[in-house]
Amino acid sequence: MKSFYLKRIVSMIITIILITMLTFTMMHSIPGGPFTRERPVPDEIMRALNEKYNLDDPLPVQYLKYMKGLVTFDLGPSYSKIGTSVNDLIESGFPISAKIGLLASLLIVVLGIPLGVISALKQNKPIDYFVMFMATLGITVPSFVIATIIIYFFAGKLGWIPSFGLSSPASYIGPVIALAGYSLSFVTRLTRSSMLEVLRQDYIRTARANGIKEFTVIMKHAVRNALIPVVTYVGPMVAAILTGSFVVEKIFAIPGLGRHFVESVTNRDYTTIMGITVFYAVFYLITIFFVDIAYAWIDPRIKLGDGE
Amino acid sequence: MSKEKFVFIEKTGEDTEAIRPSLTYWQDAWRRLRKNKLSVIGMFTVVLIILFGFAGPKFTNFSYSDQVNKYKNLPPRLELYEAGDKYFYVSNDYNMFLVEEDGTLIDRLNLNPLKRDMINKIYTYDLGEEEVKLDFSYNILPSKQGYDYDFTIEYNGQVVEQPVATKWNKVYLFGTDSLGRDLLTRVMYGAQISLLVAFIATIANLFIGVIYGSISGYEGGRVDNIMMRIVDIINSVPLVLYVILLMVWFRGGGLWNIIIALASVYWVSMARLVRGQMLSLKEQEFVLAARVMGVSKAKIIFRHLIPNAMGPIIVSIAMMIPSAVFTEAFLSFIGLGVSAPKASWGTLANAALSGLTTYPYQLFFPALSIAFTMLAFNFIGDGLRDALDPRLRKG
Repeated sequence: MKSFYLKRIVSMIITIILITMLTFTMMHSIPGGPFTRERPVPDEIMRALNEKYNLDDPLPVQYLKYMKGLVTFDLGPSYSKIGTSVNDLIESGFPISAKIGLLASLLIVVLGIPLGVISALKQNKPIDYFVMFMATLGITVPSFVIATIIIYFFAGKLGWIPSFGLSSPASYIGPVIALAGYSLSFVTRLTRSSMLEVLRQDYIRTARANGIKEFTVIMKHAVRNALIPVVTYVGPMVAAILTGSFVVEKIFAIPGLGRHFVESVTNRDYTTIMGITVFYAVFYLITIFFVDIAYAWIDPRIKLGDGE
Repeated sequence: MSKEKFVFIEKTGEDTEAIRPSLTYWQDAWRRLRKNKLSVIGMFTVVLIILFGFAGPKFTNFSYSDQVNKYKNLPPRLELYEAGDKYFYVSNDYNMFLVEEDGTLIDRLNLNPLKRDMINKIYTYDLGEEEVKLDFSYNILPSKQGYDYDFTIEYNGQVVEQPVATKWNKVYLFGTDSLGRDLLTRVMYGAQISLLVAFIATIANLFIGVIYGSISGYEGGRVDNIMMRIVDIINSVPLVLYVILLMVWFRGGGLWNIIIALASVYWVSMARLVRGQMLSLKEQEFVLAARVMGVSKAKIIFRHLIPNAMGPIIVSIAMMIPSAVFTEAFLSFIGLGVSAPKASWGTLANAALSGLTTYPYQLFFPALSIAFTMLAFNFIGDGLRDALDPRLRKG
């Protein structure tokens, strides 16, 4: 158990080092410095700036200084937004993105799992067909299309929700649905197929034969076992929500981290791209680490460290 | 037992044992795939989309980059107003078009700059020697509220308030975009780009993934360990992040840049799959036999192992293509796609976003194309999985 944690933490650190090295060399191999403007900056100022941001040092030294900043949670200045640091952007953007992301995850769990269970229990009935139709639609229609449809109908035509920003509780509805769409459909499908699998097992028949109430059979014996593969989906779900927020925040004009990232990509704001990528990577790695620990806790059959 | 107890029974006609032709693995898979209705529909749809993308542009009168500035933002359905036995269409930005009865555009009328009454909201257009008047003051001016129409057209002494008919735009079936380009041709062209990206990236993924995975799986031991750690490290971060980084690094959204970015990242899942197959296959007797006979490593991998792992590989390809279409659309949507005037479905959707409330059809067609393609490939993938890989069959 202990060796598992150690191994995971070591591989996490190696991954982070590799990712920072990759992003660092990539971003520095692009010609043009951060202070290259259309109007040339006077030489002295340029020299002072370069000195302040260590741009005269050889690349490995710069990398080490960047890493030193990273360890102390300092990601450097933004190149395109003068006077703001990447830290500022993350501090202002991440709480907003996290709020929407958590709400979306909640929606996925609260809605997706029951829908999948109902669909499996009513296999080949109209409700099953309806749920599966919606789920297939949710997987095949990209999130930006879902988001724009929500804006067009519910914000534009019907006027039920605001079309941009996060000013009122109602304005969360659009982004959260658009963000949850894909994973919600996926979880519904996954729960259904895993539920169908479990319902065919012998122990379910035994439980029924023993005269246990149908409700107890479903809730206690079937659903709990059917959920194991669903829990495994949490990792990819985090990834889907992270990348989904790029698009959803852009469409709904939400000043979250995703929109900062997309903006920095369009503005070629290299330090911000680098900083947010590293932040996303670390965030994702840590989430997955905790998810893995949670698996072992939920399903005693999984033993950490036996994967080799 | 005595011999008398053995009596020949009488022959009662033909042997009842049914003789079926023996089927190879692929024939059997094909037979099962054909039985799956959704897969067949999916295959037809994919063929149609390919024809639509690659043959379609030859039948339209425009190229994907032809701009006709006067015909910008025209919808696929035109509301026609009949006044003085001529038909008119008024666009959302108050451009007046002369149209035939069946919806064929004739020309845009020139707005007479001298008779542009912005205070009373009346525009006058020239039609030859005559004039057409558009009064769009209704529901705008405070004194003219509560009408169920927003404008009237006056021509030849006749004032009309309501459209007579809604006709398909005969010249631009899908309408035009904000630069007056034919949306039908652009959606067709977008199909080409999106499918090309998806197919080439998938084939590249296939090659890298299969070779990497089979070497790792066949060699085993330390080689396997190192190679798989590399895959684990790549896989420990959402793959889209790498693709975005690569695209930023390329500093441009050329077609090949997207393909290279997708191909250099997404092979990891294929590599894992192939490695798993190799691990189980390499223990089988036919591999041992080949090795005993002195067949080289490369030959064993390519002639014996990979053909036997083809089933799961094909299933995985069928699932990779739609996800590549998806990723390409996603990249284009956040501004890392092919550059104008080239277009993919993602860039078309992105371009439509700014005018969404006024011109929703511009998003509708590319979005529908993406959804159809995804659906079709998903159906094929599900069918292939059932046909080729019974272990993975869904409940």
